[in-house]
Amino acid sequence: MKISFEQSGGIAGLRFATTLDTAGLPPEDAQKLRRMVDEADFFNLPARIVSPRPQPDRFQYKLQVQESSRQHTVTVSEEALPTSLAPLVKWLGEEARRKMREKNP
Amino acid sequence: MLNATNSPIRGIIPPHMLEEIAKRGTTRQKDWALHNLTFAGFVRGQRQAMAALPTAAAVGHKYRTVNDNKHEGGNPPTGALVFKEGDPASADPAVNEAYDGAGATYDLYYDVYQRNSIDNRGMSIVSFVHYESNFNNAFWDGSEMVYGDGDGDIFDRFTKCIDVIGHELTHGVTQHEANLAYSGQPGALNESMSDVFGSLVKQRVLNQTADKADWLIGAGLLTSKIQGQALRSMKAPGTAYDDPVLGKDPQPADMQHYVKTSSDNGGVHINSGIPNRAFYLAATAIGGNAWEKAGKIWYVALRDRLRSNSTFKRAATATISVAKELFGDGSNEMKAVQDAWKGVGVI
Ligand SMILES: [Zn+2]
Repeated sequence: MKISFEQSGGIAGLRFATTLDTAGLPPEDAQKLRRMVDEADFFNLPARIVSPRPQPDRFQYKLQVQESSRQHTVTVSEEALPTSLAPLVKWLGEEARRKMREKNP
Repeated sequence: MLNATNSPIRGIIPPHMLEEIAKRGTTRQKDWALHNLTFAGFVRGQRQAMAALPTAAAVGHKYRTVNDNKHEGGNPPTGALVFKEGDPASADPAVNEAYDGAGATYDLYYDVYQRNSIDNRGMSIVSFVHYESNFNNAFWDGSEMVYGDGDGDIFDRFTKCIDVIGHELTHGVTQHEANLAYSGQPGALNESMSDVFGSLVKQRVLNQTADKADWLIGAGLLTSKIQGQALRSMKAPGTAYDDPVLGKDPQPADMQHYVKTSSDNGGVHINSGIPNRAFYLAATAIGGNAWEKAGKIWYVALRDRLRSNSTFKRAATATISVAKELFGDGSNEMKAVQDAWKGVGVI
């Protein structure tokens, strides 16, 4: 399973992104990711999830998951984030920031 | 009889009764009822009801509270009231900064533009501090302010910068006026209005003329680990930071470099560099205190001329016509605004 993640927006308008493949992850992380994708029912989520009352300076998340023949992309605003998707976004956000920090020795 | 006190009484008198008092009471009672109605708990989702109410007394109604989220998050945020208007300074710097920043923002809008708080009806300004943990953001949630403490790695606490506070509260003003859609060019204009008035709040507090101001947004918000001076530069968009972790400031300084992207709601924090620089060019060409003339022109455009779908071109024509009405056809002010929008390639 391949996952790409991007966080944009916030008052700073910074972009954090990461791409990962479960094949290259420790087994427990790979398992955790698969479970979070399942629990979010990711492949059945709408492509764009927005709030009826958009809030300025909230984050925008874009997630793409590819698994065998299936691929789905979801763009979601922070204030409209479904509870079921929140753990996956949180995990990927931390991963993206961790990877970016590694670039800075 | 009702006692006009400033202490919030959320939950004691139901909103429909307060509305009746606000409509029919004496001036003192109206003011008291409006204050309590606008207290955050009551206004969520009740703006339509509020619109039917009479405007608060002509005198300004400055009332601020600060709540402590204690890192618990929530949407809307949770957390008890820890500070209210007139309290002696808190031991918590985030509380004092949120309160003082809200005060400086209120004062700019009231003293210079005769606007009575965010909604022009004297609404209380409610701020939540210590939102979530390591939260790298601050935002206006439609009714109140929310501030994170930052992760200490990239960001310091978000209350630290008074222009960030002015930026966020201006999103509330925009919501009540032009209500610019938060996407593409109207979204970038929405962002730019927040940067403009956020910077003016800071310039006025520091008593800086346009030529003395740094024209930066969020100077001091990035930690010393980051190579950058601020989040954005209105004077030189694209130069605020250049860092191995954050990358380079992506803001364009003119229309030729307008960024087309689906990230960030169509680059609202990116393309805001263009109208930001137009404001900087106009304000420095006019000279003196930027909040007095250039700020007034932009404020009147935001209040009376712009609509939710307004583009940069519309902002240019609106500000030029406001400058003409306020300062005269062919005035230096009008020419400065025209040249500014030409300078960034919008007209
Ligand atoms: Zn903003």
